[in-house]
Amino acid sequence: MNKSIKCTLVIGSGPIVIGQAAEFDYSGSQACLALREEGIKVVLLNSNPATIQTDKEIADKIYIEPVEPETVIQIIKKENIDSILPSMGGQVALNLVILLDKLGILSEYGIKILGTPVKSIEIAEDRKKFFELMKKIDEPIINSYNLLKDDYRQIIENIKRYPLILRTGFSLGGSGGTIIKDRDSLLNYCDDYFSINDDTLELDESLLGLKEIEYEMMRDNNGNCISICNMENLDPMGIHTGESIVVTPSLTLSNDDYQKLRSSAIHIVSEIGVVGSCNIQFALDQKRNEYYVIEVNPRTSRSSALASKASGYPIARISTKIAIGYNLNEIKNPITNNTYAAFEPSMDYITVKIPRWPFDKFSVKRDIGIEMKSIGEAMGIGRTFEEALLKCVSSLDIAYSKSLRLSVSREKALELVETPNDRGLYAVFELLFHGMDAEEISLKSGYDSFFIYKMNNIVEKLKGIKHDEYPENMLELKQLGISDETISYYSRIEEIDIIKKRMENNIFPVYKNIDTCSAEFESNTPYMYSSYDTKNDLSIVNKKKIIVIGSGPNRISQGVEFDYGSVKAVSSIKSLGCISIMVNSNPETVSTDFDIADILYFEPITLEHIANIVHREKPEGLIIQFSGQTGQNMAAGLEKLFGNIIIGTNPENIYRIEERTKFSSELDKLGIKQPEFIEIDNIIDIDRKIKTINLPVIIRSSFIIGGRAMDIIYDYNILMERVRELFMERPGFPILVSEYIKNATEMDVDFVSDSKRSIIAGISVHIEEAGTHSGDATMILGPKMVTEEFVKKIEIIVEKLRESFHLSGLSNLQIAVKNGEIFIIELNARSSRSIPFVAKATGINWVELAVKSMLGEEINAEFRVPKSYFIKVPVFPFKRFHDMDVILGPEMKSTGEAMCCGLTFDEAMSKVIRIMKRKFVLESAVITVNDADKAEAANIAKKLAKNNIKIYATPGTSKFLSDNNIKNTTVYRIKDMRSPGLSDLIKNNNISLIINTPSESYGSFRDGYTLREIAIRRDIPVITNIKFASALVNSLASGMQSEYREIDEYV
Amino acid sequence: MDKYLILEDGTILKGKGYGYTGETHGEIVFTTSMSGYIETITDPSFAGQVLIFAFPEIANYPLTYEKMESERIQISGLVTKDAHEIFYGGKSGKDFNDFLINSSVPAIDGIDTRLLVEKIREKGVLKCFISNSPEMPDIFEDTMEENLVSKVSRKNYQYYKSDKKKEILFIDVGAKNSLITNLGELASVHIVPHDYDFFNIKFHYDAIFLPNGPGNPDHSALKPIVEFVREASQEKPVMGVCLGNQLITLAFNGKTKKMKFGHRGVNHAVTDGEKIYITSHNHGYAVDKDSLKNTDLIAPLWDINDGTVEMVSHKKLEVYSVQFHPEAHPGPYDGSWFFEKIKSTLRDINE
Repeated sequence: MNKSIKCTLVIGSGPIVIGQAAEFDYSGSQACLALREEGIKVVLLNSNPATIQTDKEIADKIYIEPVEPETVIQIIKKENIDSILPSMGGQVALNLVILLDKLGILSEYGIKILGTPVKSIEIAEDRKKFFELMKKIDEPIINSYNLLKDDYRQIIENIKRYPLILRTGFSLGGSGGTIIKDRDSLLNYCDDYFSINDDTLELDESLLGLKEIEYEMMRDNNGNCISICNMENLDPMGIHTGESIVVTPSLTLSNDDYQKLRSSAIHIVSEIGVVGSCNIQFALDQKRNEYYVIEVNPRTSRSSALASKASGYPIARISTKIAIGYNLNEIKNPITNNTYAAFEPSMDYITVKIPRWPFDKFSVKRDIGIEMKSIGEAMGIGRTFEEALLKCVSSLDIAYSKSLRLSVSREKALELVETPNDRGLYAVFELLFHGMDAEEISLKSGYDSFFIYKMNNIVEKLKGIKHDEYPENMLELKQLGISDETISYYSRIEEIDIIKKRMENNIFPVYKNIDTCSAEFESNTPYMYSSYDTKNDLSIVNKKKIIVIGSGPNRISQGVEFDYGSVKAVSSIKSLGCISIMVNSNPETVSTDFDIADILYFEPITLEHIANIVHREKPEGLIIQFSGQTGQNMAAGLEKLFGNIIIGTNPENIYRIEERTKFSSELDKLGIKQPEFIEIDNIIDIDRKIKTINLPVIIRSSFIIGGRAMDIIYDYNILMERVRELFMERPGFPILVSEYIKNATEMDVDFVSDSKRSIIAGISVHIEEAGTHSGDATMILGPKMVTEEFVKKIEIIVEKLRESFHLSGLSNLQIAVKNGEIFIIELNARSSRSIPFVAKATGINWVELAVKSMLGEEINAEFRVPKSYFIKVPVFPFKRFHDMDVILGPEMKSTGEAMCCGLTFDEAMSKVIRIMKRKFVLESAVITVNDADKAEAANIAKKLAKNNIKIYATPGTSKFLSDNNIKNTTVYRIKDMRSPGLSDLIKNNNISLIINTPSESYGSFRDGYTLREIAIRRDIPVITNIKFASALVNSLASGMQSEYREIDEYV
Repeated sequence: MDKYLILEDGTILKGKGYGYTGETHGEIVFTTSMSGYIETITDPSFAGQVLIFAFPEIANYPLTYEKMESERIQISGLVTKDAHEIFYGGKSGKDFNDFLINSSVPAIDGIDTRLLVEKIREKGVLKCFISNSPEMPDIFEDTMEENLVSKVSRKNYQYYKSDKKKEILFIDVGAKNSLITNLGELASVHIVPHDYDFFNIKFHYDAIFLPNGPGNPDHSALKPIVEFVREASQEKPVMGVCLGNQLITLAFNGKTKKMKFGHRGVNHAVTDGEKIYITSHNHGYAVDKDSLKNTDLIAPLWDINDGTVEMVSHKKLEVYSVQFHPEAHPGPYDGSWFFEKIKSTLRDINE
């Protein structure tokens, strides 16, 4: 080990975005722990409060601040940093370190880069340098072209082979990739592109249709290089690996294919000079016995997290040890404890990973390709491909998890198989139901026929399931991995009855260990998965045990925040002297690391699998509060099977809270106000019922309305139209229409309840008025946000709710406040998205208090007003979904969040803009707002004008500003078709900021939509809420210089 | 058809029979390799053994005869978790089931192979039957005591001419084709049967090569080879792989021993203390490290996990051999430097 390393900065990846998610919390946390074991002081920088790595147990000093050069410079000075580990924070951290190197900061402060050197990173990241090296070392690559503004036409003349893929270097999840089919499209694209851009366009020949294979490699300081595992994408080349179904290890590669690619991987990784872990992708052409090198990621990645969980080999940990000077023959394999890290894992099971897309929440195009659109992923583990595949499908918790098929015509299914989209897998099942030949499906889908034959084994069995009969061949069905839920779907017998009958017939899975070595060496690490096989690996521990259920794949509204809760709950259980058992199916998470809980079950979070584990372990209790909505939905079933097993608020009360009418009448009884609402359950009643509610209203439905972004409605006719549409699209489902309280302030109240009282953990005040989904709102915790008197009022309400619903553990209450009156919007008897934010801002481990209270202890804590200001800032995937509006509403759109801290509100706010856009400089602003917001817009404009910011405004707003003596330039709306027009202005001028609030009547927001779309593409921050704009401009105008501090200095 | 796997410790497991309908017996061993099923089952070193694939999906990619390591399937029987469903032969059109039938190898599927690996890890190798009825046999014969080499060695002299000048005497004790292919790139190869008249060789050769093979290296049938190597090594370089490594050890008064359950897989690291090589292994016997103390042999490479001798080298003579399989097939090519070493040995021989 290198003894000169005393204090290391680990850089996290910031807010969760598409292409960069929870996997970096996992790798960063593992890295920090691996460094601290060696006595190295660890300073962590990450702006994302929902992570475990930003917790005191993980690092010595934690900076929850924007991940930026300025922050790093301040930290280097303050903390006496001697080294930086850049490979654990995704592309964000890697890019930041490359930038710091270019700026000369690393050499100025004598900072050592741990792991792969910057020069090597640059080769791997810069496609030109990378391709040059590949040519030099004789590794096969495809042709690529760099087009410049001056000579692109000439180069295009010489391009012979299409299709081509457009790439940009340094990309996250392949952002910016487009497939170009022929010369004409390329010319059109380039003409457009170079009319507004001077940057180089990079194009590659496409390898569409070839097999995509990845290797996860590890190389040490002595040049020893091993392959941790390989991964085979079911989807052929052309689909981003983050969007592909991935099986580990490869199943359709011969020994020669496998070893040829492994040798090539070692060759390339060694030539680049990687130190630590790295991922390499190949395209394999089995027909011609050729392969092509696609790319190298010289850092831990999403694939590393997957490979770690799939193989049991802790990649981030070993990679970190190598980064500080150890070699593979000096590091023990921690899962077996009696073998070395110099060893290639052997698996005796199969894993399948499937992405989870947000198409159930977003009404956008569902096609997939070389850009990432998925938000999360699940992994299924089984002893056969069928079992692994179906366990993964179960874990996804989507509509097709039950049915597997789409129940559409053969033609429709064929169409869905031929054009890549999120339903491809189920379309293959559908075609098999239609009896199509496996080889033909293979040809159409690009999946190897091996997989199709395997899927057909499943279909054959499903066809044999009869209505209203418990299957005679139950064991066979289970051995193929067919879930009880699916058997319920095909037999039409309730799932719970299937489970009961199965258990009565003594059909249970056994649990096998993941040990990196196919049982060749002894391993007592209980990292388990179920399979309907013969023998259990480990025996049961007879101690007091508590199970914590995780939240499964990340999705919109259920993300890494719940993993934070799960991990904290596990450590609380351990500290209470109980055995902690974790169940989760998400390979990206910290909770599925084998050394977090005492026992880890990598299993789908479904009633069936939880029931099997409860049956086996016979725990003291089960905690579902950190499982998001998934656990809540399962509560009743678990109670039916096992009686009183849920710890925390019990299932009966969960039902009383979730069932809107019951909840509402209970609130009435308690004398607590709520917005008026009506439930429309049949079409005949619409006219009469609708008139009984005051406008505006919010239509609440978990269902998306095609192409519409706004769900707040100001007009009876539109309301009528929308409700009718909803009935048409989804007959038989009641629609909830509730009064929208205009200009109310919304707050999230998180609290913990024991049997005697509730303690408020935090009151997070939203900047945006009520109506924006709480997951999308910008929230503030800080001094003087609410009065003492107001807190008392909330405490009374919370106490009433605790008594009435027997709340226990964590709860989250959403309220709207107007003129001092409090209206209840929603109560959730579980942990919330805001809990990690509140915990970081208060410095109190609320999860631990909740676990203790659930187990019957009294809470020893009090409500505390935070000392500093903390702002929770959501981040959105608008760049990924060009067809999605940036206007916020009742449907959640954000993928993650950052926390901005400040000793004053302005200081915290000044950091917010850094989250929205790095290197933000305010020079000019466009203001175009609705009538209601004009007065406030004038206040904002005044401040901007005072700071000599150039203001552009659309005619209505412009007139209003001029009337108020604020200098501005009029620009015309896009639909006015007049010049100077907005779109030209944005394209040709350096616009820093756009403030655009939507009109209330929903018919006229298309113009804003186009404007916002153009802005997003050009990376200009768009503020769609006037209150938020006001707060931001106040801060920007104050000229505040941000100082970056360790979190303890704020708390 | 139901089939039964019966172990000498009393374990009886029921599975689905496939391949040859008859019965078989042998020493039961496992491999942890996840790829290379064709190369594995045709490796002559497996003679007398019933093989378990720890990896569940077998016959998962098309069967190609060119990948065979000898002219037939060499294992006595096959135990798998999930092979029976894929008999279609894939794109090659060759059927795995027929392949087993043609070599008279019975197979059993749907078995909890991990259970077996754990059992063997704890108890050591076991003797077994693959049987059509669940009855416990009276005797479990030890196939390892048989003259296995005689069953797999070529019966006649063969000559592989190459364009290289040097010539190698290759004593076939059960060699994999890949070894011959690799050596064929360095020299012309005289392949002689294991029971050749070594002291009466009429052709010229520059070096001696001892390849892999099955069974106990200390078997009496192999004594003449050991003696020949001891004598010939005074004048000519001797190289070896696997069983060859053990025979060379015996020739220089080292000893070999039977391992608890051996090494079979493609993921073991061998090391010299600094450099590591991930290598392909298939051996149930090993060189006894302690026995090298009073010999002229040293062990420059060993297995990183259990210290097994993975290479021996003579202090004075040009004699060296490895326990792992540098020829891979299946497995990684990390050990290919071994052939480079042979190349330079051959180059240094005066014409």
